[in-house]
Amino acid sequence: MKFRIYRALARAVVLESIRRKDLWVVAILGFLILLASGALGFFGVQGLQLFAKDLAASVLSLFSAVVAVLTSCRLLPEEIKQRTLYPLLARPISRLDLLIGKLLGAVIVTWIAFLMLCALTAVALTTFHVQFEPIMIQYIIIKMMGLVVLCALSLTFSAYMTPQAAATMSIILAFGSGVIVRGLIMAYNGVGPATQWIYKLIAAALPQLGVFDLGGRAANIGWSPVSGAVVLQLFLYMATYTGAMVLIAWAKFRRQAV
Amino acid sequence: MPMINTGMDAAIQVTDLRVRYRTKKGSWQEAVKGLSFQVARGEVVGFLGPNGAGKSSTLKALMGFVQPSGGEAKVFGLEAGSLEAKSRMGYLPEVALYYPYLTPLETLRLYGELEGLKGKALQTEAETLLETVGLKAAMKKQNRSLSKGMLQRVGIAQSLLGNPELLVLDEVTSGLDPVGRKELRTILKDRQSKGATLFFSSHELSEVDMLCDRILLIHEGKLVEEREMHDLKDELRKYVLTYAGQNPDALLGQGWTVAQGQTFSKRFTTKAQLMAALEKVQAAGGTLVDVVAEEGSLEDYFIETVRRAA
Repeated sequence: MKFRIYRALARAVVLESIRRKDLWVVAILGFLILLASGALGFFGVQGLQLFAKDLAASVLSLFSAVVAVLTSCRLLPEEIKQRTLYPLLARPISRLDLLIGKLLGAVIVTWIAFLMLCALTAVALTTFHVQFEPIMIQYIIIKMMGLVVLCALSLTFSAYMTPQAAATMSIILAFGSGVIVRGLIMAYNGVGPATQWIYKLIAAALPQLGVFDLGGRAANIGWSPVSGAVVLQLFLYMATYTGAMVLIAWAKFRRQAV
Repeated sequence: MPMINTGMDAAIQVTDLRVRYRTKKGSWQEAVKGLSFQVARGEVVGFLGPNGAGKSSTLKALMGFVQPSGGEAKVFGLEAGSLEAKSRMGYLPEVALYYPYLTPLETLRLYGELEGLKGKALQTEAETLLETVGLKAAMKKQNRSLSKGMLQRVGIAQSLLGNPELLVLDEVTSGLDPVGRKELRTILKDRQSKGATLFFSSHELSEVDMLCDRILLIHEGKLVEEREMHDLKDELRKYVLTYAGQNPDALLGQGWTVAQGQTFSKRFTTKAQLMAALEKVQAAGGTLVDVVAEEGSLEDYFIETVRRAA
């Protein structure tokens, strides 16, 4: 029964997104990737496989994060603003189910966009005669897990702030959490044991999206995939963090007057 | 007022309901201030009041969209807003907005699935409802291409999904043309004949007049009038008696006007007054020309009651 609810809500999000031509943005971005690769080819950089793969990973990371954030941030505020929320909440479904269904929809849209970009990037990489390795598949799977975390983070921010503020915060954390954590480690080492727990707590609360990016590893030639245990741990982190984000969003949304 | 013994017998039971909202400045504003009323099963009740009276807030509390700050609202004896209560209700929001890029059929399928309907039964019910509300030709067009009235019809269709026992309709005729209103009346009367309870807010007093068993009138979050429609109509009805004969001033008292020549007429506000006057006219040898019953204006009643309450 619950799965039917999630499926119905997610299908509506995906259909709306496709028909609103959100994914055209992805297609345009993909076209730019192809164009850029063509330009590099024109300047005679064939053979720079490492550079090409690294660039492709960075571009994928950037564009997929933007799609994830923009899709997730506006779901809830838009529903409230356009009052499409009323007929949904009038049904015998809980607000938690509604959040989960919406998140699932955002994740599917993001995954579709990401896979489209991956396909276009793969086409672009062939111009550099890049050899495809198993780690690239692993890169895609783990990146998809990271996008789930980012979608959940954006949705949660949007429950507490305007879509614009939520998007800004999400983008900052998507690309800056690594830098922030490094700063925290430096600060942690400089303070006494009495206050170190605060830094630990902040570091634990921050989304560790960098761990889902195997782009650097995949860019190298001949590197082996990471072990199954690591993938499992990443999966558990994704599930835990996403669950926590949904609960935080629900804490605000569950009794919110609409 | 129908006899209701307990909340379990009532479709809606609202007791000392209070709803408040936080303003942009951070203070609280009370939209509903201790409202109490009941709606019996199978009843059609109109919920009236001027803009900002607290109608929508009350309906939202019934649906669980806002949490009451005091008192309680129950639906079929269940806590308002609970999943069990909502599974027995249909709701039409005041402003009908639906996913712009979905079609009416997809919209109904979405809500139907959330209602627990599935498969071919859902498809058939969605198509039938859209046909009933006159959207057969537009059921596969995207909602964004539909007019306001057509979107209202989508809203009405979605509120009827799953054959709910209680229909809560906020500004039910909003955006509908006269044909649409007539069709809506037919649909609602059909639902009522099948045992559904209807509770709706409207500014269209003619609709209220034609549909309701009872009205609740609220002003500034408080109930100011609760009337049986039948009694109210009787009360508002006026009778004009016209007779031919001699000048009535000496025989029948003041207030008669000359209608034409030796014909006089007078307006009576109750049936008893009319009957008494008739007797006097006959006793005085007058000839009865006409008795006309004039239906009273619900609008005037509404304006006057609100003015008094204010």
